[in-house]
Amino acid sequence: MLKMKHLRLSASVLASAVVLAMGTAVATAQSNVVIMQDPGGGYGDALRKVMYDPFEKATGIKVVTVQEARSGPRIKAQGEAGKAQWDLTFIFDQETKLLGDCCLADIDYSKLSEPAQKTLAAMPDNLKRKKGVALQVIGVGLVYNKDKFKGANVPASWADFWDVKKFPGRRCMPAWPRFVFEAALMADGVDKSQIYPIDMERALKKIKEIKPYIAKWWTTSAQPPQLLLDGEADMCMAYTGSMSKLALEGAPIDLTFDQGFVYYDFFSIPKGAPNYENALKLLSWRLDPARAAQLTSTFPVALPSSVVFEAATDKKVSRYWANNPDNVAKAIEWSPTYWGAPSPAGNSTNEEYGQEKLNALLAQ
Amino acid sequence: MSAVSLDAGAKRSVRRMATERLKNPALLLIPAVAFLSFIYLLPLIDLIRISFSGPTWLGYFQRVFAVPLYWESLVRTMQISVTVSFLCLLFGYPTALLIHRSRGIVRILVTTAIVLPYFIAILIRTYAWMVLLGRNGPLNKMLVSLGILSEPAQLLFNRGTVLLGMTAVLLPLMVLSIYSSVARLDQGLTRAALASGAGPIAVFWRVVLPLTLPGIGAGVLLVFVAAIGFFITPTLLGGPGDQMFAMHITQQADSVTSEGFLQALGVVLLVITLAVVAVAGRFMGLEFIWGGRKLDDTPKMAGPATSVGRSRRGIGSIVADLIGWPLLRLSGHLPAGFGKWTVRLMGGAVVAVLILPIIVVMIISFSSASYLTFPPPGFSLRWYEQFFSDSNWMRAFWTSLMVATVSACLAVALGTSAALGVVRSNIRGKSAIMLLLVSPIIVPPVVLGLSLYSLFLRLDLVGSVFGLAAAHAIGGLPIVVVILSAALQGVDPKLEQAASVHGASSLTVFRLVTLPAIAPGLAAATFFAFLHSFDELVLTLFLSSAELKTLPLMLWGDINYRLNPVLAVVSTLEVLLVVGGLILARPVLATSKKTA
Repeated sequence: MLKMKHLRLSASVLASAVVLAMGTAVATAQSNVVIMQDPGGGYGDALRKVMYDPFEKATGIKVVTVQEARSGPRIKAQGEAGKAQWDLTFIFDQETKLLGDCCLADIDYSKLSEPAQKTLAAMPDNLKRKKGVALQVIGVGLVYNKDKFKGANVPASWADFWDVKKFPGRRCMPAWPRFVFEAALMADGVDKSQIYPIDMERALKKIKEIKPYIAKWWTTSAQPPQLLLDGEADMCMAYTGSMSKLALEGAPIDLTFDQGFVYYDFFSIPKGAPNYENALKLLSWRLDPARAAQLTSTFPVALPSSVVFEAATDKKVSRYWANNPDNVAKAIEWSPTYWGAPSPAGNSTNEEYGQEKLNALLAQ
Repeated sequence: MSAVSLDAGAKRSVRRMATERLKNPALLLIPAVAFLSFIYLLPLIDLIRISFSGPTWLGYFQRVFAVPLYWESLVRTMQISVTVSFLCLLFGYPTALLIHRSRGIVRILVTTAIVLPYFIAILIRTYAWMVLLGRNGPLNKMLVSLGILSEPAQLLFNRGTVLLGMTAVLLPLMVLSIYSSVARLDQGLTRAALASGAGPIAVFWRVVLPLTLPGIGAGVLLVFVAAIGFFITPTLLGGPGDQMFAMHITQQADSVTSEGFLQALGVVLLVITLAVVAVAGRFMGLEFIWGGRKLDDTPKMAGPATSVGRSRRGIGSIVADLIGWPLLRLSGHLPAGFGKWTVRLMGGAVVAVLILPIIVVMIISFSSASYLTFPPPGFSLRWYEQFFSDSNWMRAFWTSLMVATVSACLAVALGTSAALGVVRSNIRGKSAIMLLLVSPIIVPPVVLGLSLYSLFLRLDLVGSVFGLAAAHAIGGLPIVVVILSAALQGVDPKLEQAASVHGASSLTVFRLVTLPAIAPGLAAATFFAFLHSFDELVLTLFLSSAELKTLPLMLWGDINYRLNPVLAVVSTLEVLLVVGGLILARPVLATSKKTA
């Protein structure tokens, strides 16, 4: 009998440990929280300080952040299983269509706050879709070490990036076909209005030329700043956000939007999100012009609405914004539609097809 | 229960038969087998099903083999795995001999240098290499100060570092495999050979090497199979030209349109791994997976395996004589003691390669600089303060602790019962069951994680402590089963029978006779199952969520983001945990070795 009691006791201890463990996971899923995907790094820190902490104080809703660069595949898997885990995520342009029917909830714009409505009113229709709203303008540009390249000897185009005689030094580029193929074509003399549809073979031939000079094909947005600051590379194709932040802090780097790329990250609410209402509240909060301006001034990733652009006063900072009209005029509008379209191989998208081709070239 | 046996009614006897049947030790296998069938076999079967669900049933596989990228990566993965296995053998064999031959403090030091890294997470050891070979790392600093380099060179991100890193990570596995063979070597044989006039090299070639071949075979296979599924080390140390196959799987997992194709990649990796193991099993018996010939009562498997082994040894010795003879004559010109010094030098190099990175990381954790540089400009505890005051790191630490505890309990409960079932029952197909129980060791973690993700989504287990712990227990279970079946074989069944005859119930027998005898093994198994879960990264990458971040997951995120000394702090703490655990387990391990 005694031993049975022992056994039962240890079993109940084990069981309560398990219940306790599962309980902590369940408790956070009540509706005083909102689960938000987070880019991490310096941008994540700025979001926490400018957006989430005041939001928590004002509403009593806790913002749980998930550091994740890409959420598309997970939203798809979660949506198909009917088990959404996030309330607010940012996804690629084409994913608002690819995932729209299966996995994304409609955004009820009528429920957003008044200041948020003001911001939205100044946004182009294409950026406020039923399944997603563009909250981040992302820029990709040519970044260089300004101690090494100065005066008149400053790179201003992808042709310059490819010109290793005039601009000696090591480069870094993303290990993806997007942006890299377009830049290669421009370096090869294709006019920026003639890029799409992309001649992949021509682009790959041009990439082969620059390959020996690439110190690192980067895969996370944190790598190029590190490479430039450590002196591993002198010139990079990189996201302008974190680079501008460093430039503003006095790092010896500068960047150009000439032939750069501008695109948008869309914020979406997964279908069946555990805290839909809270997600709308957080969305309103982030769309508030004054706060959005404060965020972009802290970390130069802009919100694509002229209201926000006007609310920010510091021109030293707004010079780096990807939606600054001066910059937009120099950049090209990058085409998510092309990359999401079916590839010549038939069983993949252009993006996947290009990735396979690029990987094969890099592996040589 | 003894009261039951006194009664003699017909009803009673039926019930007695039922109780007797319930006492059958084979029933103890049920929980573990059921657990694995549900959480391990079922998802893998589902993975295979999805991979065939393309427009045509081979559609996804056609892409794997038609696109040169994947095909070439497969070839590259094979090349790297073969090279790493060879390197591990080349350096592992002398090291195993060195452990065997050395005595006293040297032996303890060398053994520690091998065993300690074996229990430290792969992620941390890879990180240590990144520190060691970095632009501001000690190696670059040394080469520059010696005037060999004019400025720091790019030592990372190439094939060489991948091979070096993988070899270093897998060497302990090889050394321990070979050592288990070397340790069983009958010293009388070598002495007899020496007394009969054979030189030391002839003794090695004709006696030591043939007798340790099983250990070599097991080591090479375990290393090779592990290398095929490697993901962490090549990702962190390699360049774009070093993409291994498992890396394509994680890369494809980032695309919304890759379902089906992604699973096909996983299936290809799984099939290759299983094929290699099956072929190896034909020649040496599948026992190598669980480390030797411990399972005496497996007549079906052991029979053909040994006979094949015998005939191969015949061919082997002919080949050995053909190649060995000229070699022996050549080596006669070498000075005496050459072999001894080769062993010492190579063994020493191995010890340095295994221990040095860990020491460098430990030193850097006390650095006062805000970036990685060696030697540190000054010493401070600021990174320790930062670690202990950062709520994210602390939360991850407690999460890891909780997951690992639940996982270890689960693995030990299921594993102990299964080990009892395997050792004490007489059912047929025992080796098949044993194979099922230990097979999670050889399945590439990337494939396992991929297959588990959809199951976990359906059961709403993604991001739950219990779910993650259960997933980790898949890998913890084999460890427990292997250790405890060895320990149980050291317990004389007659003792249990004696207790039973004198009226003790099965539970009493277990508690008073079996349990005390296997307690040391049980403690060791618990520790290793705990550590397995505490270090696990690849499954966690697939199965964790916002609120559930483990320590390895935080480390992984930060290694990809920026290399700062906080990572060195976490690494140092992990090393201390392992050292502490090993010291605690040392008396236990020593006794369990004696009983086994």
